[in-house]
Amino acid sequence: MNGPARLAVGGLAVALAGALAAAILDLPSAAVDLRGAVAMNLSASGVEHPVTAVLLNFRGYDTLLEIAVLLLALLGMLAVAKPESGGSPPAAADPMLRTLAGVAVPLMILAAGYLLWAGAHRPGGAFQAGAVLAAAAVLLHLAGRLPAWASPKRMLRLGLAGGFLVFLAVSAILLSEGALLRYPLEHAGALILLIEAGLTLSLGLILAGLFLVLAWHPASPSESAGEESKS
Amino acid sequence: MAEAFLDPLPWLIVLPLAWASLAFLWGDGRGGRLAIAALAVQLALALILAAQVMAEGARVHAVGGWGAPLGIDLLADGLSVLMLLLTQAVALPLAVYARAYFSEVAQTHFWPLTGFLLAALNALFLSADLFNLYVTLELLSLAAVGLVALGGKPAQAAAALRYLLVSLTASGAYLMGVALIYGAYGTVSLAGLAPLIGPDPPLITRLAAGLMLAGLLAKTALFPFHFWLPPAHGGAAAPVSALLSALVVKASFYMVLRLALGPFAPLAELAALLLGVLGATAILWGSWRALTTHHIKMLVAWSTVAQLGYLFLIFPLLQPGGEALQAGVMQAVAHGLAKAAMFAAAGVLMLSTGRDTLEGLAGVAGRVPVTLFAFGLAGVTLMGLPPSGGFLAKWLLIEAALAQGQWPWVAVIIAGGLLAAAYVFKVLRQAFLLAPAAAHFHPVPRVMEWTAFLLAAASVLIGLRATEGVELLGVEVAP
Repeated sequence: MNGPARLAVGGLAVALAGALAAAILDLPSAAVDLRGAVAMNLSASGVEHPVTAVLLNFRGYDTLLEIAVLLLALLGMLAVAKPESGGSPPAAADPMLRTLAGVAVPLMILAAGYLLWAGAHRPGGAFQAGAVLAAAAVLLHLAGRLPAWASPKRMLRLGLAGGFLVFLAVSAILLSEGALLRYPLEHAGALILLIEAGLTLSLGLILAGLFLVLAWHPASPSESAGEESKS
Repeated sequence: MAEAFLDPLPWLIVLPLAWASLAFLWGDGRGGRLAIAALAVQLALALILAAQVMAEGARVHAVGGWGAPLGIDLLADGLSVLMLLLTQAVALPLAVYARAYFSEVAQTHFWPLTGFLLAALNALFLSADLFNLYVTLELLSLAAVGLVALGGKPAQAAAALRYLLVSLTASGAYLMGVALIYGAYGTVSLAGLAPLIGPDPPLITRLAAGLMLAGLLAKTALFPFHFWLPPAHGGAAAPVSALLSALVVKASFYMVLRLALGPFAPLAELAALLLGVLGATAILWGSWRALTTHHIKMLVAWSTVAQLGYLFLIFPLLQPGGEALQAGVMQAVAHGLAKAAMFAAAGVLMLSTGRDTLEGLAGVAGRVPVTLFAFGLAGVTLMGLPPSGGFLAKWLLIEAALAQGQWPWVAVIIAGGLLAAAYVFKVLRQAFLLAPAAAHFHPVPRVMEWTAFLLAAASVLIGLRATEGVELLGVEVAP
């Protein structure tokens, strides 16, 4: 970009920042109090933590679509990754890193399980647990213990889409209660835990995939064995 | 219980999400037959929903049973149902077309991406919540970017990346607006916001509306934000270009319209003239570029830039119960069908000649006459000749402009129609030239020709069934 264009963009950014600051300083008091509404309905949500109640119950539909967004992000990367083209194998991993990964990963899986369970009554839940699982997968890959991939086989695809499919199936079955995602009170907690468990696994795989697809080098022998034969 | 379970409204969102995920599970480019079957069901669901809305008025579906503002409401009124009908009516023939197209051209991810794209469109048209609209818009954009990148050629990857960057910046602007609105009013429900935003709203509301509008205009590729559209739509695979030009850019236009008629109505007048001027510029500039390009799909893509301009001419003319709204929706529907037909026909022409230039078209009239007829029919709609849907839209616009004494818009509409005629005839003329002796034509599946023809015929004939559309459009939420 040349000088005047930079100046124009910079000026625009400064003007926007100024307008935002002026608007925030002049913030009117909100007419609707959603925090109160969440607190009032928390006992009917099936969980005790307001964030989980909003994410999985009150606005669970947004979360359902957000999971689709994440799956789609990975799908977009798979669409541009070219499994046919050539490349070079990755460098061998450091022995220190291999040992560290061996110690840390079981603990990370344990932590992910705890975060999943904790989501019902304190900060935690599927997104956090999935992120920890994904980090574990990335660590394993860096330690040379987990191959990268760019065209997942069927079992892996089931793992990637499984959490979303469970969420979608529960949403659709609950239509018989009168509306999409309308949990019956007595089963709300169990259903939310079921959805979150599925999501933890799938989100872990999807987030790890976002890294592993980029890390994939087509010609490395250990990985091409895991590739699907393309007919 | 069974009645609630079989409600068409939520199934229009659940069904495409389900077949998209199943197509992903199957992998290897499978899922076409499932998609066609599911799209036939979706079309039936949209028709049932239209009948319900026509008979009983607008319908609200409270997801989770909470109701706004705590939960998320889905709303099916006349406007959303018309857009849903358009989406399924364009998608079903295109799916048939795409199955044949991708038997000629290899692909692995078209069906899951398309499923998510259609789910996002249906969800967007049914949404009545600012934040939920954002989520559907994200889903839509990511699916669209993935589809543009599908072929894996460097030019497609570059177009997809540019599209992604524009799209993310635009989403960011929209989301910032939503955050400001939530901060100011404490709710993101459209119905909840409408009574809260008064005739002279505070600075924060104006700023939020401006940010959201800028984001949505960039996504709709309205001039001067049109620069990403021709390479993205012109470079993608033919069925993808058709989906993007016919439906995806309409979604963000629909949001501008929905917000201008709904909660931001007190502010709509401020931006109306600007939107009209940008629309008029888009018509003239887009048509001119379409006329001067040498590549057939770039011509069709630039024509989209021009035709989107008509959609924004309605804003300076928008009056309650007036003809401008009908004109805008008619234009969206007619252009959706016509542009799907035109890109489908362009795909056939390119497969047949093996070239993407206008020069390569010489002699094609004798080889794929049905396709060329489809291209011409779609052109009739774009030019605005009677009895096409495009004619009706432009006629209503001219009528509204004359009734309000705003005659400069009339000149733009007529000039745009003449330019459209010029670029359509440029293609037809070339196609009727004698083929050079060295020309070699490839056979193309017949079903691709006929689906293109079906879409083109629908874009012309829709003008004859406009009364039902107008009646449906009149169904609003009871105040």
